[in-house]
Amino acid sequence: MALRHMMVIRAFESGVASLKSKGSYGDLTYAYKGPAHLSIGQEAAAVGAAMALTPEDHIFGSHRSHGEFLAKGLAAIQRLGDNALTTIMEAHGNGALLRTVETHLAEETEHGLAENFLLVGLLAEMFMREIGFNGGMGGSMHAFFTPFGAYPNNAIVGASAGIATGAGLWMKSEGRDCIAVSMVGDGATGCGPVWEALNFAGMAQFERLWDNAGFLPVLFFFTNNFYAMGGQTNGETMSWDRLARIGAGLRDDAFHAETVDGTNPLAVADAVERKRHVLLEGKGPAILDVECYRFSGHSTTDVNAYRTKDEIAAWGAVDPIRTYRDSLVSEGILDTAAADAIQSEVDARMNAVFMAAADPETAPPPRLGIDGAGIGRKMFAGSETPSDGPAPEPLSDPEKVARIRQNARKSRGGRDANGEPLSPLKAITLRDGLFEAILHAALTDSRVIIYGEECREWGGAFGVYRGLADLLPHDRVFNAPISEAAIVSTAIGAAMEGGRPVVELMYADFIGRAGDELFNQLAKWQAMSNGLLSVPVVVRCSVGSKYGAQHSQDWSGLAAHVPGLKIIYPATPRDAKGLMASALASDDPVIVFESQRLYDQVELFKDEVPEGNYKIPIGAPDIKRAGSDVTVLTIGPTLYPALEAADLLAGRGVSLEIIDARSLVPFDYGQVLESVTKTGRLLLVTEACERGSFAMTLASNVTRFAFGALKAPPRVLGSPNWIVPGADLEHGYFPQPFDIEDAILTDLMGVAGHDRKGSRRWDDLALARSGL
Amino acid sequence: MARVELRMPELGNEITEAMIDAFLKDVGDEVSEGEEIVTITTPKVTMDLEAPASGTVLELLVEEDEIVAVGTVLAVIET
Ligand SMILES: Cc1ncc(C[n+]2csc(CCOP(=O)(O)OP(=O)(O)O)c2C)c(N)n1
Ligand SMILES: [Mg+2]
Repeated sequence: MALRHMMVIRAFESGVASLKSKGSYGDLTYAYKGPAHLSIGQEAAAVGAAMALTPEDHIFGSHRSHGEFLAKGLAAIQRLGDNALTTIMEAHGNGALLRTVETHLAEETEHGLAENFLLVGLLAEMFMREIGFNGGMGGSMHAFFTPFGAYPNNAIVGASAGIATGAGLWMKSEGRDCIAVSMVGDGATGCGPVWEALNFAGMAQFERLWDNAGFLPVLFFFTNNFYAMGGQTNGETMSWDRLARIGAGLRDDAFHAETVDGTNPLAVADAVERKRHVLLEGKGPAILDVECYRFSGHSTTDVNAYRTKDEIAAWGAVDPIRTYRDSLVSEGILDTAAADAIQSEVDARMNAVFMAAADPETAPPPRLGIDGAGIGRKMFAGSETPSDGPAPEPLSDPEKVARIRQNARKSRGGRDANGEPLSPLKAITLRDGLFEAILHAALTDSRVIIYGEECREWGGAFGVYRGLADLLPHDRVFNAPISEAAIVSTAIGAAMEGGRPVVELMYADFIGRAGDELFNQLAKWQAMSNGLLSVPVVVRCSVGSKYGAQHSQDWSGLAAHVPGLKIIYPATPRDAKGLMASALASDDPVIVFESQRLYDQVELFKDEVPEGNYKIPIGAPDIKRAGSDVTVLTIGPTLYPALEAADLLAGRGVSLEIIDARSLVPFDYGQVLESVTKTGRLLLVTEACERGSFAMTLASNVTRFAFGALKAPPRVLGSPNWIVPGADLEHGYFPQPFDIEDAILTDLMGVAGHDRKGSRRWDDLALARSGL
Repeated sequence: MARVELRMPELGNEITEAMIDAFLKDVGDEVSEGEEIVTITTPKVTMDLEAPASGTVLELLVEEDEIVAVGTVLAVIET
């Protein structure tokens, strides 16, 4: 079987190579425009690994993943019974792919049919067709099919390490008898997130502090072909002289690291099988350094400038397919004629597969829709999937937990009998609102797990979780290492496997440390999987102040810029609780921005923060103060200086209508347009730097949709385009009540001779010329 | 014999007050230095304050649930 599977992969990739270089393959003439990161020469590594895995073991592949994907699929098909295969194929896309395969590729057996299903599903995906495994939304580097245990492959080198680790986390949580495999290249050992994942998978707490002791069942499978694209790892770009030695730096058992002959499928299968046992015993994670060689270039533009013909020829002498075939023949297991017959059968099948996948009749492209609604509709799940099982009993009686007792004594509203604001020690705060929503989810939904740096005893960097550790065991709330990339990527992997992680990034400024994970992974997989996967992750990040330039930035607009993330930024306890409840219920990823200045904020707008669980829809702004002359749309904490400005201006007879955006993505403009139609004037206030801010997007859309009603162009008042200064100078940086008053009186109302009291007297056009 | 006061400590930058959660000792109890006397809560943390000296609790000067400013004397110990 190994021989045939290797031949199938080689034939498939040779076909792709031929399309790329000659524009034809077999009977097909076709201009394939997508990427072709081929693994010709590496087939034994992929096939050997897959042979030792069950369909329930999940691989998370690399950018060079055709072989990894096909090998896993072929091995799974091998292990699955006819009925299971029929059910799987019928279920996928309402059987559309199966119908095409049945109609255009004759096959008597269910297994043969499933093989064609696998091959056409992948190739059609590469050709961006609707029957492709991801509905044409993924392409060459992203095809996957979960029923065969093939989880997302990744075009970002090394990214699958963290995602596989998160999958392992959830497999462990559920006590499943299976493992997660991260397939990355040798070049990926240069990626920080890979190291973060390695460390995360082997955290000591799994063994020492968790009730269900044992490390994460993750196999880090490094396909070591000695090169990145053209840079040599060993001897040039890396410090290690043998990849397997990286294990030695992680733990005294070196994560069971081994170098394996990746040209021999049986050697690879044997190694993977042994590691699998170690992982299932909870003694992982494990590292395999699988040495092999890619005969093909990195991609079709590769001119092989980095290696010699002699080198390629020397590896050609140990071509895994020929070597394995020869050994089967010399051992008398297979005769030459039988081997040739397999090859002919594979070649004929591949020709038919290519014809079927390229034919626009059998495999039409997805309809994008002239308004982009086709892809647009795939960006979000837009659904909620309630928990179907009860959450485990808490460790203690919630009513005895100090935090919960204290909250019970607090006033639900934020004002005393005279209407004065109460102390945060006496009234429910924004921090408490977040806590209550998360507590409810944690106690009612076993899928919810909570982690991040200092989340357990410390209660999260700003005490949102204080008290939670008394109720939940380590596998439900735990301290993560200082590994923002791993915190987010593991959450993604756990979510793909069925978990609902709530993770905390201490400061929004640390988003950069998890940039790929947030923007390329979390934001993408719902759409790139054509909705086959959802990533219900809640990422909480605080927006700081007083700690200077690297701890005070409102990056909500940065997150809003990347399609695929829902963004909320609550400013009151009631909104925080209700929006957090919606975020926790949502099947989509949600980033929650929380201003540190508002954690102690009590409720000043509504009578009270309801005690029970309730949801406020994400995307609905809220009028916080009604008025008639100017609409002020605030983002996050700017609500409060806007209120002060409203008081200042009321004295001059100017009435402000203050709307709190509450969410950035999605955003329902209805209420704002209605208000602007009434007032004719709009000021947008944000703590983000003005340039490229989300407020600019809002301003531009309002200008377009309420143009006729505007008496003045909308004005964005944000922070200047320079670093956030330290605590004592912040008042000259973040918009203050006087700045708001100035902007309204001068820019929006054109009051002649207004004496500016704020600090913003600069000429914005001159600043722009100097890059400010 | 000396009177040693336990005061509400500085609790960090922003925090000016804390709530008395519970007294762990009564007037007349013997305490040794470092033993926990009172649990307090700020918006961010709950923590126990320790006896500054060994002796007998002479006075408890604030009430449970009371919000107390940083620097306030909470208890007096006679050594
Ligand atoms: C984060 C990231 N950086 C760079 C690239 C561009 N790139 C694609 S493949 C590749 C080489 C990867 O080398 P290795 O991990 O050894 O895998 P191989 O290509 O050898 O299979 C590079 C640099 C990328 N896709 N992602
Ligand atoms: Mg490589």
